[in-house]
Amino acid sequence: MNAIFAPRTSLGFMRLDFVLGTVFIIPFTQMVFFAFVAGLSGGAAAVSFVVVGNAVATVTYSSIFSVCQTTDSEKEAGTMEHLLVSPANRFALYFGRGVVPILASLATVTVGLVYAVTIFHVPFNAAESPAIAVSIVLTAVAMVGFGLLLGGVALYLRTSIILGNIFLFIGLLLSGVNFPLSSLPLPLQYLGDVFPLTWGLAAVRASLAGAPLGTLLGLWLNVAVGAVASLALAMLLWKTFERRALATGSIARF
Amino acid sequence: MAPNAYSRGRSLVAVLRLSVLTFLADPQWLIPSLIAPVVFGLVAYELFSGAGPFFVLYAILGAGMMSMWGQTLYGSGWATGADRHLGTLEPTLSSPTPYLYVVGGRVIWNTVAGLFGGAIVFAVVAVTYGRPIPLSDPLDFVLMFLFVIVTLASVGVVFAAAYVYTRYAGFIQNVGEFAFYVGTGCMFPVVLLPFWTNPISLVLPPTWALDALRYLAIPGYQGFSWGFWWDIIGAVGTTLVYLVIAGTVFKSVERHVLEVGDLNDW
Repeated sequence: MNAIFAPRTSLGFMRLDFVLGTVFIIPFTQMVFFAFVAGLSGGAAAVSFVVVGNAVATVTYSSIFSVCQTTDSEKEAGTMEHLLVSPANRFALYFGRGVVPILASLATVTVGLVYAVTIFHVPFNAAESPAIAVSIVLTAVAMVGFGLLLGGVALYLRTSIILGNIFLFIGLLLSGVNFPLSSLPLPLQYLGDVFPLTWGLAAVRASLAGAPLGTLLGLWLNVAVGAVASLALAMLLWKTFERRALATGSIARF
Repeated sequence: MAPNAYSRGRSLVAVLRLSVLTFLADPQWLIPSLIAPVVFGLVAYELFSGAGPFFVLYAILGAGMMSMWGQTLYGSGWATGADRHLGTLEPTLSSPTPYLYVVGGRVIWNTVAGLFGGAIVFAVVAVTYGRPIPLSDPLDFVLMFLFVIVTLASVGVVFAAAYVYTRYAGFIQNVGEFAFYVGTGCMFPVVLLPFWTNPISLVLPPTWALDALRYLAIPGYQGFSWGFWWDIIGAVGTTLVYLVIAGTVFKSVERHVLEVGDLNDW
């Protein structure tokens, strides 16, 4: 249980100011920024599209950037060695880092969508709330899974900052956040399909639009597959690098 | 120590040299401040595509400014935070050289590095555009671009000064990033914002400089009604005010550290 909640690791970077900023301020300012950019070139429809996209895309701050950085934090604090030799269950240890970020991600997307509906007047039908809720939960879990995967990669890197920065923003371009994926060249569309954000965002958009259950189930399945695949790959990476660390004794150096 | 036993100019050059060497030792740190602007530039380019040839300039100017913000303002703002983090803030402040000169050296280098970033972002968006960028007067454009970065640096120096007194520097910078982009109208004219926000925007020197830059580069641009030259005057005026504020705050910081000696707590 201690491993799952890993309070110091999960909450160490989740200071109150960070949570307030990530959940309440960043979604608002990011949505306003892109709404004005879209408004300059397009109409109300473009603004609506961009606003919903960015409401969901801000999930990357708590799910990717923060989770990815926990590996750095362990190295910097000098606790990585202790973690690597502890007998704790590895899945609990690793997934535990994602529990609090999942909650923060849920809050971030929810607040973002509330802004979208109340401030930017994005059409919303209360009857679609359950479908939207399922989409948000699945997206948050999948994105944190992806963050854990990047955290696994970061285990091998000198720092996770560059990796975190890349995946913090690349979704804005490749996941259909600000314009439909079909606007991109085909190879970039395929690349976009690899990111859980693409499917999560598509599920949220479809839920908001009142898409039929069959359509939603397909999208939810894709998000869930992305989440499971990310976690599985993350565990694989963690085990690989852990073995390497034990063999060389050098992985934990910051 | 006698007042002439040290040289402020030499200190400034030494800090500048150290900043350059630190950067050259690990230049990958330019990358984080480039990723977001390049992505934002490409997103804006895609959003503006089909809206007319001059809209590519909005994407370039905005993304270039973001890159310079990343390097100049983050770097300068963090100039104090890094000292605090490394435990060198108090020794540096207690040295005979005024701290402003130490920060000044870092700011100068961050400004140069910011220009590298701006140039790279310009190149990426220009290559994506695939046609000549519609600039009527490239030389004036470059000069104005340099001026914009000076206004950004002035904000960075004030942040560096203010951050001595707070442990929330990172929080303010991260959370304030998009607010700054919106407030300065880096990718759209500030006049599109609600009128009541205009006074807030005008407190920031880059707002004036960017408006002037667009007047210069975009034919038919409709920014502040007072036009190009008043934008320049406003930018110079606010930049000077920021530099005076920074100097005053740094002096007060030095006095404060002599009185209480606890600035290293964070």
